[in-house]
Amino acid sequence: MTDVLAEKAARPQRALADTSAADHSEGMSYLNSLPRRLVTLYLPLGIIMAVLLFPFYWMALTSVKPDEQLLDFDVYSPFWTWNPTFKHIYKLLFETEYPIWLWNTMLIATCATALSIFASVLAAYAIVRLRYRGAQWVGGAIFLAYLVPPSILFIPLSTVVFQYGLFDTPFALILTYPTILIPFSTWLLMGYFKTIPFELEECALIDGASRWQILVKIVLPLAVPGLISAFIFCFTLCWNEFIYALTFISSTQYKTVPVAIVTALVDGDVYRWGSLMAGAMIGSLPLVILYAFFVEHYVSAMTGAVKE
Amino acid sequence: MTDLTRRTLVKGGTALGAAAALSGPALLDWAKAWAQASPWKPEKGAKLSMLRWKYFVQSEDDAFVKLIDAFTKATGVPVQIARESYEDVQPKASVAANTGTGPDIFWGLYSLPHLFPQKCVDMTDVADYLGKKYGGWVDSAVKYGKSGNKWIAVPICYSGALINYRLEASKKAGFSKFPDKTDAMLEYAKAMKAQGTPGGMALGHASGDGNTWVHWALWAHGGQTVDANDKVIINSPETVKALEFAKALYDNSIPGTASWNDGSNNKAFLAKEVYWTNNGISIYVAAQNSAKDVAADMDHAYFPIGPVGKVTELHLMYPALAMTYTKNPQACKALIAFMLEADNFNPWLQSAKGYLTHCLNAYDKNPIWTADPKTTPYRDVAKRSLTAGGLGSVGEKAATAIADFIVVDMFANYATGRENAKGAIAIAERQLKRIYR
Amino acid sequence: MTDVALKSRLDKRPIQEPTPWDQLKTNKNWLGLWFMLPAAAILILFLAYPLGLGVWLSFTDAKIGRSGEFIGLENYEWLQGDSTFLLSVFNTMLYTTVASVIKFAVGLYLALLLNERLPFKAILRAVVLIPFIVPTVLSAIAFWWIYDAQFSIISWTLKEMGLITANIDFLGDPWNARWSTIFANIWRGVPFVAITLLAGLQTVSPSLYEAATIDGATPWQRFRFITYPLLTPIIAVVMTFSVLFTFTDFQLIWVMTRGGPVNATHLMATLSYQRAIIGGSLGEGAAISTAMIPFLLAAIMVSWFGLQRRKWQQGGEND
Repeated sequence: MTDVLAEKAARPQRALADTSAADHSEGMSYLNSLPRRLVTLYLPLGIIMAVLLFPFYWMALTSVKPDEQLLDFDVYSPFWTWNPTFKHIYKLLFETEYPIWLWNTMLIATCATALSIFASVLAAYAIVRLRYRGAQWVGGAIFLAYLVPPSILFIPLSTVVFQYGLFDTPFALILTYPTILIPFSTWLLMGYFKTIPFELEECALIDGASRWQILVKIVLPLAVPGLISAFIFCFTLCWNEFIYALTFISSTQYKTVPVAIVTALVDGDVYRWGSLMAGAMIGSLPLVILYAFFVEHYVSAMTGAVKE
Repeated sequence: MTDLTRRTLVKGGTALGAAAALSGPALLDWAKAWAQASPWKPEKGAKLSMLRWKYFVQSEDDAFVKLIDAFTKATGVPVQIARESYEDVQPKASVAANTGTGPDIFWGLYSLPHLFPQKCVDMTDVADYLGKKYGGWVDSAVKYGKSGNKWIAVPICYSGALINYRLEASKKAGFSKFPDKTDAMLEYAKAMKAQGTPGGMALGHASGDGNTWVHWALWAHGGQTVDANDKVIINSPETVKALEFAKALYDNSIPGTASWNDGSNNKAFLAKEVYWTNNGISIYVAAQNSAKDVAADMDHAYFPIGPVGKVTELHLMYPALAMTYTKNPQACKALIAFMLEADNFNPWLQSAKGYLTHCLNAYDKNPIWTADPKTTPYRDVAKRSLTAGGLGSVGEKAATAIADFIVVDMFANYATGRENAKGAIAIAERQLKRIYR
Repeated sequence: MTDVALKSRLDKRPIQEPTPWDQLKTNKNWLGLWFMLPAAAILILFLAYPLGLGVWLSFTDAKIGRSGEFIGLENYEWLQGDSTFLLSVFNTMLYTTVASVIKFAVGLYLALLLNERLPFKAILRAVVLIPFIVPTVLSAIAFWWIYDAQFSIISWTLKEMGLITANIDFLGDPWNARWSTIFANIWRGVPFVAITLLAGLQTVSPSLYEAATIDGATPWQRFRFITYPLLTPIIAVVMTFSVLFTFTDFQLIWVMTRGGPVNATHLMATLSYQRAIIGGSLGEGAAISTAMIPFLLAAIMVSWFGLQRRKWQQGGEND
């Protein structure tokens, strides 16, 4: 990027008619010529996109390639296969416990997300609207909790999980995931609640509505987009979580997809790449579908994570 | 669901030379009779759960599932089986031992029962019964199975780690057989690399393939991590010799062995990238299915003898133990005894195709060892194996040292040139001293 | 402030009898407490308490499932001379620095590109995020296969092009393994940086650029004096997150190399897992995690000041 800019900076006299990657005002794009845009915009964009997407193509291809083509690049072109097979996917779905893991992952993600959103809604509402004494400090503290990563907590948490008698049960994850999710979704929802006009609540208060009624009947319906954002984001985080699931769960029947797939599709010292990739692909699908429907919410949640 | 497909597979598929094996109703009748006569009567309403290592050869697991089913039918005790990759069995067992909840039976690796000897159900009666009936236990199995004068686990089997090599390429390099001395092995590695058919052995964190060969290399040159009193003696000229030998091998191997895990060499061997390595029989078994030309052109050999002049191999031992927290100790004993009875164990050994080696001498006669001469070397791995920790005790310390890859890292540090011999040994010594303090 | 608001309200409605208001005032803190309870309970039981416990554990010789004796600083003294630990600190620094710098550069560049007028803009933006959506472990498995020592598609392609003669040993050579894992981390992190910065870019008013262009500013100057300063606060926050999560990364490394070859890719997080959970020395593992906390605090300070600049704590202010 810098060399493009440096090259530009070297010819300042053409500044006006010039366009560049750094010029991102849509209002002036009529000044750009097509060839120039090809080089400065479409080409780099194309390269970055290709790099970003190639691993998924490779994943998908590997999961439908017959075994003999997987390890033989000399006879078969590695980039394509003319005789796709669903053997790996079949094997994955009907000869391993993959459906159970998928179900576990769903269940844990759903429960942990629901729990987190419930707790976050109450907390965010209290901080933003009740303005109890010390609310600002609590808000700050919650934000700080957002910055404590699981990889620091997992060792003491594992002993805590033993102490509470939750080890090797889905509850170990359902109750620990919210520590990652609550700080974030509270922060996000605080931003949404602030945008709801205070007058609405005042009127309701004067009409004798309780805080709880206000929250359920007035605030939440107005904050639906925020709730969806928080839900999607939390769900994705749960689905993605690895280290807690690896540490707190030891029985195969309670494992989540990311953890199980790494151990289950390796027969001792033989890696079943086809099924591994199929597992990775199918494990990603629910999220990608969810995301396809709610992409806007997801993006706003993600930027909310750092903005609001 | 999975069992169904597995069982149909077993029924329909591999009936290779299992003439001696009982099947179907006959097996069930025998199992029922066994359950009647057995000294261990499962508790009323007993249920068992068992964690075993994840199979390397699928047919082995199928046979295992079959015999567990027979046990359930004969005794009415349902058994739930979970599988974990074998390096993960140990941490899970430690957790279970200390929290007092988890599977009743663990079937793990090396000195697993010695990590918590007081938490293991006394298996002396089972071990004595089996030993008497089947020609006695091999020495190393006794060492692994006993704590003091009590058996705390029953050694089920070994999994051999031997040299796998390609015949044609070796002949071309001037070796009709794999060399049986370490010096000759270096020559062999050089010659193989020179003609573009290199081999290699794992120096990454591969619990099986890495540990087995580096311990062999260390012991073959007279090096030891600790002496008989568990005093750390890694810092010795013998260790330096072993390191130099390993470096010379590494320099004459295919590049990349430092990142190999347990699966890397299988893959590379089957893809004809690697022409000699160390492994269980799983490469050969896989080759018979997917790369027949490789299977026809390969053989197995014992590890060469080093300067110390005796066999110094380390093989993977799989002991089964029952936890004292189990509510059904009698059922556990019954199951473990049942597993090792000839009518179960013989077909099971056969279905493992040589991947598993017995620890009870009577099973030397199993036809699997002679049906295909290429599997014969694996028959004797239990007799040849030393125990984890070398001269020292088989216990928590030895298990920790192996789990932490101390010896593997020492060899890898030196072979890859990250440390000089002194530095590599010093790092290992420091870690060992902490473990053995 | 509530008092002021109340006063004015009371002035407006003198008819209102004061009792419910009084009650509300006294209840407000109680109500706040009830509302905060679920979140606070979870965060205290599963976050604050373990955080303190982790520090305590690091001063003991606890083993898995066995509570330890207090041994003071022994774990830290041991780690100080432990070359593997020192190597993991070095790796963590390298991994974090290189990956974060490149993530920032590529992310900003991608954000600028996506901010141009493009066909199918919405779809492009959605597609860019996919690496971030897909669970890390699953994409790490894909990378593992792409980097395979013998069957790497990259090696094969380069061989076909005649650029190299032998397979590149992506995960077998210490430095190759470091760069390979760093690349995978960058691949996963770029979308997050790009999309967030894009959101920031869209808030910059085009009229600023028009004015600058009329004044004869070069594109570089426009970027340097308009875009960059306006983006600074959001950059500070995004990069704090990015650095923090790179620093404490675990998944990618664990799946691809488990810290190998020869511990060359061990990060502090993976080493603490290896020592605590696999090796069973909880105390030592906890000491390694605790050693990460100072870096964590540094990151928090940076983001805190980044946030202060936007006065977000005050609850107002939106762009």
